[in-house]
Formats: sequence, structure tokens, C-alpha cells
Amino acid sequence: MMHIIRAGRATPFLALLALALAAIPVRTQHVLVPMDDEQGNHLKAYGLMFSALKDGLRGEWLLNYRGGSFLLPDVQTLRRRAALDGVTLLGVDNATLAGVRAEIATANMDAVPLEKAPRIAVYTPPEAPPWDDAVTLALRYAGIEYTTVWDAEVARGDLTKYDWLHLHHEDFTGQLSKFYISYRGAPWFVEQQQRNLAMARQLGFGTIPELKKAVAERMRQFVENGGFIFAMCGATETLELAIAGRTVDIAGSFGDGTPIDENADSKMAWQRSFAFKEARLELSPFTNSMSDIDGHQVNVPGRRQPLGTFTLFGFSAKFDPVASMLVQDHRTVIADFYGVTTSFSRRTLKPGATILAEEEGAPWVKYLHGDYGKGSWTYLGGHDPEDPQHSIGNPPTDLSLHPHSPGYRLILNNVLFPAAKKKPLKT
Amino acid sequence: MLKLAILLLLVAARLTAAQASTPYDRALQLEAADKYRDAAIAYREALRVEPGNLPAMLGLERSYAQMGWTDSLLALLDTALTARPTDVTLRTIQLRTLRSARDDAAMRAAFEQWLRAAPKQHAPFREYAKILLQDGFSSAADSVLQRAEAAFGSGDGLELEAAQIRASMGLWAQSAEAWRKAVAGAGYLEQAAIFSLAPAPAAARDDLRKALLAVPLVVGARRIAAALELEWGFPRAGWDLLRALPPDSAGLAAWLDFARRAEEAQAWLVARDALMTAYARTGSAALASRAATDAMNGGDMRAALSISAALSTDTGAAALAVLPVRLRALASLGRAEEAARALEGARGRISQDQYARLARTVAWGWIRRGDLAKARAHLEVSDDEERDDPVYGWLALYEGDLRSARRMLTSQSESAPDLVAALALLARTKVDSAPAVGRAFLALARGDTSRAITEFEQSARSIAEIETLLLAAAARLAGAAHQDTRALAIWRGLAQGHPGSPEAPEAELEWARALHRAGQNSAAMARLEHLILAFPGSALIPQARRELELARANIPSTP
Repeated sequence: MMHIIRAGRATPFLALLALALAAIPVRTQHVLVPMDDEQGNHLKAYGLMFSALKDGLRGEWLLNYRGGSFLLPDVQTLRRRAALDGVTLLGVDNATLAGVRAEIATANMDAVPLEKAPRIAVYTPPEAPPWDDAVTLALRYAGIEYTTVWDAEVARGDLTKYDWLHLHHEDFTGQLSKFYISYRGAPWFVEQQQRNLAMARQLGFGTIPELKKAVAERMRQFVENGGFIFAMCGATETLELAIAGRTVDIAGSFGDGTPIDENADSKMAWQRSFAFKEARLELSPFTNSMSDIDGHQVNVPGRRQPLGTFTLFGFSAKFDPVASMLVQDHRTVIADFYGVTTSFSRRTLKPGATILAEEEGAPWVKYLHGDYGKGSWTYLGGHDPEDPQHSIGNPPTDLSLHPHSPGYRLILNNVLFPAAKKKPLKT
Repeated sequence: MLKLAILLLLVAARLTAAQASTPYDRALQLEAADKYRDAAIAYREALRVEPGNLPAMLGLERSYAQMGWTDSLLALLDTALTARPTDVTLRTIQLRTLRSARDDAAMRAAFEQWLRAAPKQHAPFREYAKILLQDGFSSAADSVLQRAEAAFGSGDGLELEAAQIRASMGLWAQSAEAWRKAVAGAGYLEQAAIFSLAPAPAAARDDLRKALLAVPLVVGARRIAAALELEWGFPRAGWDLLRALPPDSAGLAAWLDFARRAEEAQAWLVARDALMTAYARTGSAALASRAATDAMNGGDMRAALSISAALSTDTGAAALAVLPVRLRALASLGRAEEAARALEGARGRISQDQYARLARTVAWGWIRRGDLAKARAHLEVSDDEERDDPVYGWLALYEGDLRSARRMLTSQSESAPDLVAALALLARTKVDSAPAVGRAFLALARGDTSRAITEFEQSARSIAEIETLLLAAAARLAGAAHQDTRALAIWRGLAQGHPGSPEAPEAELEWARALHRAGQNSAAMARLEHLILAFPGSALIPQARRELELARANIPSTP
């Protein structure tokens, strides 16, 4: 359930709590990492927080306070790293900190303890450069460590070693994003097809769709057992289709040698999927779309929708800390960006999905979150927040030219939120 | 559009004089007067009289577009197409109209209808693919072309569209193959082909080259390949593709075009070769003179001299035209006597102003020889009245007269690196005389970099207040001369021995770069970190941070 609370609406109880908090003795010296417009490098600030956790320090995420600032102990190694990375730090004495806590207590803000650096895995082919994927670009730039996994590692159960898994533009229906329509002769496509087929055979599967569905099922189990998954671009939609279509032929003959099941729509098991329901599959092998989950349909003439802007919801920091963490940003309205899957049709959303960002008045949303089993998932549509029209062959984004990117901040919020200590819900 | 507007105005003006008699004439007149609503009424009247009147239909399309009524054209088009179902212009207007109405399904239906009406025409495929490409649907456009290829058994007649679409999809070799066919019969497409293929990434270029240079030889395709090599930074490879062309008119045109492009790209020596090849074919002195200038711009003074000397035997305008180049080449080579003689030989044929200007060039010849007295004497003899010319300031600097040099050089508006270095020095010291500094700059002017480095280092000991500036100058020169060990030693000495100097951040950065070039990446990163931490207010910090990110491989390196 979504709670939208505007800043400044505090109950008398919260005001009393604030006074009580203000009276609690605070630790000695701290540094505040402001995340509003005063910050010199927003993206590197996440790396600073992550490295502090990695070094065994504890911090706090001050939700809705100055753009979602971080509070850390004043340690020389952190100051050094901040200076190297151009991250703005503000020394905070005890009196000032007490004032900050009082302000947090009385407003739509909260301080969430961050305790442990999450173990991060990124699902990507072994030889893919980090510049192929907005998340690896961001992790690399921010200096956040991660491990790459692909089908073999997922198949042998390695996901249990990680807290957080990222997926980007993999097509879990096994149709290689239907790029065969246009790129069947391109060397990179031929190589991609051969690589996937070889992996399928190595793992005992006859076709790429069979392999990818099995991988998707492992990922579903990962979330069910308590993992966090963050997917972008085409991975969002195709993961859902692969999970719901586990026993259905949803791949065209290019993928598995047989045409798609004409009655596939009626056979999909949507109760198994995370976010979507009753989506309609694109049955034509010559239409570059997977289903009607994507609202923008960027590769389909006659269906493509223009890019607009999306707005982040403001949540109650104290009652919805997870949703609040995921939308911490110094901007609330962000320019949209295309991807193989750009957005998510409202019609196909399950009731339990929390909308984190939407384009006002449009029949689609941009950013979603939800729980599944013991874990949770987050979907962000689009390929690269700083390359809105991204096309195959475009040069990679150089994040040192976009250190304040509000879109990339959304990605990094996701990286950090598994570090948050779970607090008992107040509702 | 401009041409169309002028045409409309001309037609309207003539019609005003002769009183517009037909609805079409009246419509043109009204459109030219920006009365689009009335023009549309008149165009419709013209179409009622003659439903197949194409100029009237085009005029109505323009008028409706101005009023935002484009979709109102559709009914009229349907009527016209009933009578002329295969008319390319009418069908194209229909596709354009449906496109501006954003009715993609109807546009596709119109395309299919056109195909049924004209199954042997290429135009339906061409026009529909063009629209899809303009809207960014490359793969859909490509599907249309593939359908055409299946229908006709080949892509003939659709090469231009195929070339553009495949380039937009990153299918570079296929695009090059299509461009090769397209330019074979339409040379005017070469520039479009170059523009289309230039973004090909390095990994795709070999296949692209093979496609363009396939046999049989297509001169246009070869010219495209040569221009692409130039674009990609391989001018010599570009010229190698053209030099063996037969010396006929097509070859000559290719050489001259390539020379122009090479000059634009400042690939001077390649431009020189192309021009000299064209000169051998034509004997044009103008081409040789241009080649000499290009040789000089490219730093090949001997070639500049050789070419200009060959022309100097000419008693006509060619010898005089090439005289400044010849004198500059002789001066650069330190052949001051020859330069002086050549100038004297031309004295009767040039103005006094020209003579004085060229005498300053000759004076540089003496400077180049290290004979400052003769340089000064030559300027006196030439009775030069332009005493604010930089040569006087430089002479003062070389003589160690910093006071005069300061007065004369600071009034210059040029921004050549040598002048900037000299002005930086003159601004940092109040010393009026420094012969050692003069010797250092003179060695630089003489092209003796090694000696200049030594002189700058030695002169640093003579004036404490500009010691670090002179050491930095020595280090920069050593780096430019690829004397990395020497440069590194000076930069390191500066960074460690003078950490509070203005040059210290630069010394740290250059030190880090030298370490990086030597493959000592960890040491380079440590040095960059030291720079960032020790000089947080330096203007070099953003650059240092960027180089640190690159060294850590945290951001993609750009070519």
C-alpha cells in the first residue's frame, strides 16, 4: 500500500518523539554527506557510503533530509576518499547533530541505520565490458565492488552467495530481444547467439529459451528466499514473461524452432510472477516487442510513444522507509529515457506493486517495487538515464560528465537499500 | 524552401501584373501573400477543375501545412488517386500527409495499397522506407527494403535508401556496399556517403573498406574511402588509395578534392603530395605554390624550399607569389644569406611595404643562425618603420633585455605558445636584464631543443623569483622532445623541491602522466591522489580527477 505524505505533516506524537530524540545524548563528531544541490558528486557519495560499510563503519541514511543525506563517523580515511572523489562532506558537531535529529523527528524524514555492505552480483555475460549496462557503469564509477555471474553460476546455485542481484537487458524469453529481425547478419548478434547456444548445450538445454527460463526460475527462487533483485530495461519484462510462461512456448521459431503457442496468453501463470498480470504476448515474430507490458514500444512503428518526464512519489519516511530509500533524490521530476522496455503499463500491474515513479496522466509508470516471498524486487524501465535515445553502437556514457545524474541516483539507491537495518514496522 | 519562396514571389509578381486568370494562378498569388486560407480555397477550385493537377495538390499541401489542416488533404488525395492510382507524387503526398497526422496504421495501409496498384515500381518501397527512417524506425525501414529485394530479386534502384538505413543500424559493411553502388551513377552522393559512414567504429572499418574498394574499381567509392581515412585520422592511407589513379580528369578531380579535404584537416604533407601530383599533370604554378605553402605548414621546410625554388626561375607572377614561402623556408633553415639575396633580387618588383615585411622574415633567418647582430642590422637596412612588430620584442628578449622585451611583447595580441611562455616569464619578474634567459629563448628559436632545455635549467639558477617557471619550461620542452627521463627528473625535482610554487600542481600532474606512460599505473594513481589532496584549490583538480578515474578504469576511455 502506498502512503503519500507531504513534508511538514507531523503528528503530535511525532513531535513529542522528536523532543525525546533531541534529548538523547549523541555520538561525538560526525560528517554529513549532503545530497542536495550542495553535493559536489552525488554518485561518488554512494561509493563513499558503501566503502564505509565495507570498512566496518556504520552510518545512517537521513531520508528526505537534504536530498537523502548520509551521516557517517568522522574518520580520516573517509575524508581522504571524499577529497579524492570530490564528494562534499560537512563536519557536524554534537549540537548541530542534535538539531538535525530534531528536524528529522518533526518532519517527514527518518534516519535509517546502514550496517553492512551488501554482496552484489550482476548478471552479465563474462566478457561484457562494464559500459554495456547502466548499473555496472554506475557501480564502477562510484567505486562499489560487485561480482559478475552468468548462466553457469546461476545454474549451480551461486546466487545464494549474494544479497543483491542486478539484471539489465537480457531477454529471458530466449529470443535475444528479437534483434534477429534486423541484425541477424551483424557479427555481434551472431556471436551473442552462438555464445548463448553454447551455454545452453553446456548446461544440458536444447534451446536458448529453455536455458533462460531455467535461469529465470532460479532468480525467482532467489527472491522468494530473501534476495533483492533490481532489473532495468528489457530484463524487467522478459523476466516476468519467463517466470509466468515457465511451461508455455512463448518464443518464436527463431528462438526454439517452433512457433509461439497461439494460446499462450491464456496459459500464463501470472500468480508466479513478481509485478505483472494478464499481459498480452506479442505473437508476431516480426514485431519487435515482447508484450504489452512496455508502454512505450520503442521498436514498433505505429506504437512508439514519445518520451516525457516522470515524477518520483514522496513517501512517508517513517512508515514506508523502503520506498522512501528508493526515491531519495535531489530532483523529483526526471527526463524519461528509452530502453527495450521503457515503462510499465498500469493495466498489467499487480495490486501489490508499489509505484515509485510515474508519468502523470500517462497509461504507464516508470519505477516499481514490491515484496515477493522473503525478498523484494525493483524495476526501473529504460536503458541509460543519461542516454535517452540509446541505440545499438552508441558510445558508452562517461559518468564523470554526469556526477549529479538524478536518474543514476535511483540505481544507486537500490544498491544501498539492502544495507539498511530492518526496523519493525510502525503500522 | 528559400528557392520555393523566391519562385512563389516571382510568379506572384508576374501574375499581379498580368491579373491572375486561373484558380491555380490566383492560389499561387494568395500563397505568396501568406493568405493560406484563401490560397487553399483557390487550390481546391483548381483541383475541382482538374483533379490530377499535381502543382495544385502540392500547393494545397503547403497551405494546409501552414494552417495545421494537413489531414484535410486526404479526401482530395483519395479522389485524385482513384483516377491516377500509380502516380508517385500523389502517393508520396499521401504518405507524408498520413505521417504528419501520426496515423501509422493508415500510412502502412496506404503503402500496401500503393504496392498493389504498382507492383513493379520501386517508389513505394523507397518512399515508405524513407519515412520510417526519418522517424527513427531503422529496422522497420530495413524490413521494407528486404521486402523489395525479395520482390525484385535484387536491391537495384534502392541503393541510396539501403545505404542510409544500414548505416543507421550500424551495419557498416552492408551500408558501404550499398553506397558503392549508389555513387557509381551519382557522384553527387559522395559527401552524403562520407557523412553516413564516418561514424563507423574502428572495429567495423576493415570490412567497410573492403566493401568500398571491391573490384571492379569505382572511382567515387575510392574517393569516399580516401576521405574516410582522412576523417578517421589516417591521411596517408587515404592518399595511398588515390595516388595510383590514372592521370585523367577523374583522377585529377579526385586529387584536388582530396587535397582540399586534407588542408581542411591540416594534414599538410599529404595535401602537398596530392597537389604536387596534380601539378605534375597540369603544370599549374598555382597548385605548386599551394603545395609549397602546405609543405611549410607541415614543417617540411626543405620540400617547401625545393618547390618554391623551382617556381622562382619563373619571371612572371608565380615567382613573386611564392617568394614569401621561399624566404620563410630559407629563414627556417638558417640560410639567411640566400634569403637576403633572394629578397634583393626581387626588390625592384615588390613594394616598399612588402620589402620591409619580407626583410623581417629574413631577419628571422639570422636569428635562426644565432647571429642577433646581423638580424638587427638587416632590419635597420630595410628601413622598417613598424617598430612594434614582434621581431623587435623577440630580439630584445634574446639579447637578455627583459625591460625592452616586456614593453614590446606585451602589446602583442597573438597567442602563440612561445609568446605566452615569454609573457608569463616577463610578468613574473621585475628583473630588467637576464642574458641567460635570453640564451634559453634563443636556443628555442633556433630549433635547438636540447640546448634550450639545458639553458632554461641553467638560467633557473640565475633568477630565484622565476626559478620554478624556468624549470617548468625546461620540463615541458623535454616532454615535447620525448626526453621522458629528463622531463620526469625536472618535474619530480619541482614537485619535491618546490611544493609551494605555482608550478607544483602541474609538476605533480606531469609526473603522474610520465609514470602512466612508463606503465607504472599504481605509482601514477598515487601521484594523482597526492595532487588532489595537496592542492585542492588548483585549477588542475578536475583534470587530475578525470585521469585518476581513467587510471582506475572507472570510466570508459574515449579515443
